Amino acid sequence: MKDNTVVRVCMGPAGIAAGGKAVLEAFRETLADRNIDAEVKEHCSSHQVGCLGLCARDVLVEIGRNGSKTSYQYVKPDMVGRIVAEHIVGGTPVKEWLVDETFDTFYRKQVKIVLADCGRVDPEDIDSYIAAGGYEPTREVLMTWIPDDVIEEIRMSGIRGRGGAGFPTGLKWELARRSKGDVKYVICNADEGDPGAFMDRAVIEGNPHSVIEGMLIGAFAIGANKGYVYIRAEYPLAVERLKLAIKQAYERRFLGRAIFNTQFSFDIEIRLGAGAFVCGEETALIASIEGERGMPRSKPPFPVNRGLWQRPTVINNVETLANVPYIIRKGWAWYASYGTEKSKGTKVFALTGKIRNQGLIEVPMGITLGEIIHEIGGGIEGNRALKAVQTGGPSGGCIPAGMLDLNVDYESLAKAGSIVGSGGMIVLDEDNCMVNMAKYFIQFTQAESCGKCVPCRVGTKRLLEILTRITEGQGKEGDIERLERLSRGVKTASLCGLGQTAPNPVLSNLRYFREEFETHIRDKKCPAKVCKKLLRYSILEEYCKGCGACMKACPADAISGDKKKPHRINPDRCIRCGACFEACKFKSVARD
Amino acid sequence: MGKMVNLKIDGKDVRVDEGLNLIEAAAAAGVHVPNLCYMKGMKGVGACRLCLVEVEGGKAPVIACNTKVKDGMVVATKTDRVQEVRKFVLDLILSMHPLDCMTCTKAGVCTLQQYAYDFDIKESSFTRKKFGYPTDQANPFIKRDPEYCVLCSRCVRVCKAQGTNVLEFSGRGVGAKVVTAQDRPLQESGCTFCGSCVDACPVNALLEADRSRKGREWEYEKVDSVCLSCGSACGITVSSKDGEVVKISSAASEGAAEKYICAIGRFGFDSLNSEARLRTPMKRVNGELRDTSWEDALATVAEKLKAADGEAGFVSTANILNEDALALKKLAADVVKTKNYDSSVTLYADYDSLKGGSADLDKADLFVLAGTAPDQWARVLPALDAVIRKRVSEGGAKLLVINSGDPKIASAASAVLKGEEIAMIEQLAQAVISKGVKAPKEMVSALAHVDPSDAAMAAADLFVAAKSPVVLAAPSLYKAAANLSLIKEEAVSVPFEANARGVVLMGLVSEGKKFKEMLSSRSKALYVIGEVPVDKRPDTDFLVVQNSHMTDLATQADVVLPSTAALESDGTIVDYLGRVKEVRCTIGAASGTKSHADIFAEVAGAMGSAVKKGKEADVKKALKAKTKAAFSPFKREKDLDVDGERFIEAINKSTINGSRLLWLKESEKGVLA
Ligand SMILES: Cc1cc2nc3c(=O)[nH]c(=O)nc-3n(C[C@H](O)[C@H](O)[C@H](O)COP(=O)(O)O)c2cc1C
Ligand code: SF4
Ligand code: SF4
Ligand code: SF4
Ligand code: FES
Repeated sequence: MKDNTVVRVCMGPAGIAAGGKAVLEAFRETLADRNIDAEVKEHCSSHQVGCLGLCARDVLVEIGRNGSKTSYQYVKPDMVGRIVAEHIVGGTPVKEWLVDETFDTFYRKQVKIVLADCGRVDPEDIDSYIAAGGYEPTREVLMTWIPDDVIEEIRMSGIRGRGGAGFPTGLKWELARRSKGDVKYVICNADEGDPGAFMDRAVIEGNPHSVIEGMLIGAFAIGANKGYVYIRAEYPLAVERLKLAIKQAYERRFLGRAIFNTQFSFDIEIRLGAGAFVCGEETALIASIEGERGMPRSKPPFPVNRGLWQRPTVINNVETLANVPYIIRKGWAWYASYGTEKSKGTKVFALTGKIRNQGLIEVPMGITLGEIIHEIGGGIEGNRALKAVQTGGPSGGCIPAGMLDLNVDYESLAKAGSIVGSGGMIVLDEDNCMVNMAKYFIQFTQAESCGKCVPCRVGTKRLLEILTRITEGQGKEGDIERLERLSRGVKTASLCGLGQTAPNPVLSNLRYFREEFETHIRDKKCPAKVCKKLLRYSILEEYCKGCGACMKACPADAISGDKKKPHRINPDRCIRCGACFEACKFKSVARD
Repeated sequence: MGKMVNLKIDGKDVRVDEGLNLIEAAAAAGVHVPNLCYMKGMKGVGACRLCLVEVEGGKAPVIACNTKVKDGMVVATKTDRVQEVRKFVLDLILSMHPLDCMTCTKAGVCTLQQYAYDFDIKESSFTRKKFGYPTDQANPFIKRDPEYCVLCSRCVRVCKAQGTNVLEFSGRGVGAKVVTAQDRPLQESGCTFCGSCVDACPVNALLEADRSRKGREWEYEKVDSVCLSCGSACGITVSSKDGEVVKISSAASEGAAEKYICAIGRFGFDSLNSEARLRTPMKRVNGELRDTSWEDALATVAEKLKAADGEAGFVSTANILNEDALALKKLAADVVKTKNYDSSVTLYADYDSLKGGSADLDKADLFVLAGTAPDQWARVLPALDAVIRKRVSEGGAKLLVINSGDPKIASAASAVLKGEEIAMIEQLAQAVISKGVKAPKEMVSALAHVDPSDAAMAAADLFVAAKSPVVLAAPSLYKAAANLSLIKEEAVSVPFEANARGVVLMGLVSEGKKFKEMLSSRSKALYVIGEVPVDKRPDTDFLVVQNSHMTDLATQADVVLPSTAALESDGTIVDYLGRVKEVRCTIGAASGTKSHADIFAEVAGAMGSAVKKGKEADVKKALKAKTKAAFSPFKREKDLDVDGERFIEAINKSTINGSRLLWLKESEKGVLA
């Protein structure tokens, strides 16, 4: 039997975590045992970067035979025997283990620009990047373009900042170029503090040179000779890769003096952030690089006019910069062909929550939320119903399930009360409580507020207190109005983006899920059964076997009952810990 | 002056300097924009959010403290929208505030209280919470009670701007707090106890430690005066109640770089009532100093001075007032008829260096420190150190340090020329000339042989670029350094004593022996005024010491005459910048004491002559004598080098030892050990 059969086992980080190694070994052994001459390859194994495919379904195994490819998902070593016997030997794939139809749309609906080379080039080897066309855009720009050309190209591409605010990048560069000063700076913002976001980390771990190139081209455009990458210290692999990439770029003289033998010189320094969310805010980041405590400064002056050390400074997000070499390479028109009228190109999202295909995706702007959830995300996990999609993290809001037709772009999301943000996308189902969700985000912003301005420092605390009491059954009539007044006040009066957007999760949840708040406040009930203190536990006598497991588990001595007779919970003693609910093997404890 | 712009604020037309922010512009229009974190003269930081105003054509409200005026701007400071925001913000602040205005020392001057009143907020509409922070009361100067803090960061910023940099924020969210490094007590954090932060705090979070239950500000009588403890001669506001000083703060106008006083000036006033205070004249009888009457003391002094027959000597400190100096000169020259009268000025300066030059530190865009080494930590001209650092950090001024050592202030400098000062000054001047800047002919030829170093060339760029450079020179270098002012702007010499210029201008310029000589040679009678840096009785037949406090020297005197202390008599001085400053009597003479001038007049009277008390007109006449700047050779005045720290400490010894300042000295020793 010899018909160039290739077995590819996913050995990316997710693949390894799911037991890829054992699957790989199982294939090797089984094939050897049966004397089958087939190649077994590692997939995605290069350089510990995910291919950013469907890692959620690891271990993924792809079997190529006679030019056609078939993929299996969730493969375990004990499944290998049957796959080899039926598929490789017998020629009939094992149907029930194959990937489903969304496996196809998962790839088809995505457009990869920033992530295209992630997993393809070796991030630790500059030659691999060069072989893929890397540094060619820089060479071309430095040797044959003038700065105004670069700015025009970026402006025409329509790309907007991917760090959250969505400011047009071309315009930012132009403002910095026109700002007077002989010393200017480019800063790459790799602080990525949104909970659950890891887009920027993936880009730096997977393709650090694209970020360096983006900085080089930006620096050339505005006339800067010095750049900083501000990256959080909690990303050790990204920091290592970036350091290595910068070192290699210096060795090849893509950084330093007289780059490509032109007059242009550019140096990059890495600054490690200590992991404060607010340090991602551009003026706080600048303060932090200057050695001050990371606290935002009042704007104006804007960084493009007076930024780092009072010099004109462009500060861009990792993803924004990583797009730049690809825009230069393929032209603004190509880039602008993706997206909507006002939101061009693609956006990377970190899809998490109750969704089947979790992970990073890159989609063209304007794609509908429904396409993302169902065709890329593969729908909701388990047999629950979609409730809402949270975008923009602590600065964003929720889009309810009824609005899946919504286009994902800056304008549409803003109109719906949320934001594109830096790319967090959390899928929520019926088991998520919207009050609790709002509380979670306010807890985050309160803890991360730098404390400089009153509305954010104290206002978020007062918001948190009200939300906490609502989730604990102490909600009062008028609390919704209080939340609204506080939210409005904090939004208008806060100094920086953190405070100005902190109330968004509250406002948006109130907008779409007001009755859920009311139920908490008036009926002291949490429909999603999340808010512990609102739950009532009782024993369903008709099912109770009187085994006593609940009684043993209860830390508050709230359960009584004789053996083999239905037990009872004393509601006055119950502390609503849920131990009995977990302990009962007969599902006889009710919770509502 | 810069350009002027016209704008409308709340319907009122105003014309103001371009570059002003909207809070200042509104003030010019008579409109107060509420604010808690703004400090005149410093950049607006936008922390309190109370100053939000609406500008016509703008979408969102802007903060007035950090928005510059523009021609044609139309500003509304009291729209419903911003008033609501203000009320909201105050409501939030009050939700974390103790609200104990009925017992709070700051009542009446607390900005938060004022706004709560203005906006009619009796209680926060939110649940009120406490921080539960402990109070730092571990020093006798400043009580820090974070419970009241509104986190305006004013204290942090003043301390940082002046270079002490003791305070910083820590923590996040509602737990954010002003702390010292590692949250140590102030005395372990490099704090100099200047109290600038106390002046800056709008609420009761920072307070003079001895002020609680000592009356509220509205009960105080406030008088502006001058601190005479060192050459900075800082303006102070003295608050007193029932004839006792209760508080001293800086009197410089809001926003001036000179808004600073050091721990001695602010907290040394408790020495007025120290045990060492002299309240009766004393006379040596049988080898022992005994209390006596003024009559007896004066008669004894008069008799001995007469007997000295022109061979008496008078030495004084230079922190006596102009009026005292005039009277002293008359007593010595006209009544006692001696040529030997001098002040401690000649220990560190030649007379000529103290006769000319003037400067405006708020306008200076370059400070050239020639040999002068102000140092807040060592309390050598601390205010000058603070002024310069503030102008550098907040006002965009530059600093050039010329010094043979490594003074602390060099850390704030844009350029340092380290080396023998005269050589460095020559190099700088020559470098400036080599860049095509005009200089007098004699100077050009005097410098012909000088070859400036690269460092001097770079430093010269600063000088050339500056519009209003001010050269601040050690007196011994003044003549050489003042040559720079022939090229551009001003030069002054900086003495160690408050009225050094005044006493020289008033004619306390010896025609016979100078200070050092009088102390080292034999005399028939020596009359010492004030606290001089001398501990041992000089070789004299008769020693008079006239001072407010007992000193080591006074214990060895034959007659001790108790004088008023600073804050106890009226008069004037001339500070190092050539400004005549009024020293005002704030609490009256301590019982049993007399002013220096009065004592001189009475001594003269006892000798049978009349010495008229110095009048304003006499002082004015004396001030007219001014020398014109002219080229002098690049030379150093010999033998004038004294250790500033030891000198200033010596002339304030009895103040420090009779005050809680002693605690500071002890604790500094502890930190150093
Ligand atoms: C609280 C806060 C946190 C932020 N964190 C980040 C971040 O982690 N990464 C980032 O790129 N931008 C962050 N931003 C946005 C930056 O301030 C800035 O707008 C951005 O870096 C500009 O780059 P871009 O134009 O390429 O998006 C944050 C903003 C705020 C208000
Ligand atoms: S809004 Fe929050 S994070 Fe931003 S400056 Fe104010 S306190 Fe700091
Ligand atoms: S007393 Fe002076 S040095 Fe000390 S913290 Fe206050 S401002 Fe800073
Ligand atoms: S201590 Fe006073 S000056 Fe300092 S931040 Fe608090 S309120 Fe402001
Ligand atoms: S004075 Fe402008 S924000 Fe405080």
